[in-house]
Amino acid sequence: MADEEEDVPFEEDAEEAGGGLDGGQGKRKRLFSKELRCMMYGFGDDQNPYTESVDILEDLVIEFITEMTHKAMSIGRQGRVQVEDIVFLIRKDPRKFARVKDLLTMNEELKRARKAFDEANYGS
Amino acid sequence: MADPGEAGREELGVAHRDPPPAASSPSGDGAAAEEEEPAAAEGASEGEAGEAGGGGEAKAEPPDGEVRPGRGGRPYRTKEKKQKVDEDEIQKMQILVSSFSEEQLNRYEMYRRSAFPKAAIKRLIQSITGTSVSQNVVIAMSGISKVFVGEVVEEALDVCEKWGELPPLQPKHMREAVRRLKSRGQIPNSKYKKIIFH
Repeated sequence: MADEEEDVPFEEDAEEAGGGLDGGQGKRKRLFSKELRCMMYGFGDDQNPYTESVDILEDLVIEFITEMTHKAMSIGRQGRVQVEDIVFLIRKDPRKFARVKDLLTMNEELKRARKAFDEANYGS
Repeated sequence: MADPGEAGREELGVAHRDPPPAASSPSGDGAAAEEEEPAAAEGASEGEAGEAGGGGEAKAEPPDGEVRPGRGGRPYRTKEKKQKVDEDEIQKMQILVSSFSEEQLNRYEMYRRSAFPKAAIKRLIQSITGTSVSQNVVIAMSGISKVFVGEVVEEALDVCEKWGELPPLQPKHMREAVRRLKSRGQIPNSKYKKIIFH
């Protein structure tokens, strides 16, 4: 069944991190419970999503970040994670690529604006 | 169908039919455009910019269209045309958001404002690399993680609807969504070696 295919990778995740407990990461504290709930509501779920679904999503996110980090460490400058590596890994996915470009551009704009604001204050 | 679940997704999809992103849009809902539309970076700028809540989100985008980067997959445009298109987009978003019901406004606010905590993401990445990472890396990683969550949740909502059930989403929907995304190659997995020719 399709379900069994999915159960195996999740249990493996638990073994890697939690030490053999079934049903996801047993021992690790939940890092993103509150934020994930808000996110799920924003993306279309119910206002009170099920805790089990939130847990599954958290495991998925942590696995995603771990995979991306490992991949980024293996390309470009080895052993370090740099923005260029992330952008390179994401290049095939149009949504994520556009999003990263937007975020980084916005960040630059804000830094410039803050700097100009501080200089204006200092001058007057 | 459940009203809040469907209304939230439909409304966000409506305005984006007009400028369709060329390369994306896997699902007919215009779900792809949802991620690209809000240009203001929630993760990077929410705390600092101090925007007004709720419906003010759309107006916080920069009025100067020149600095907006081109979207991935869009055909090449001259700067003036890009500016005009961005202004049109901003205007349409404003009209849309101003016509939201209270429930839709809530959901839209959550959609824009929710973000992963930078400290936790930084800690997680540093625990994997063993070295320190720059702020930009944390910003980028938080951003694409949120997009990733959006993809999974939207796929799960499709599954839920297809099976004739209602939100809230159950683990079986999530698992089926992950299975589908995996078969499309949208979930990175470097654990199993792919055998191309048997």
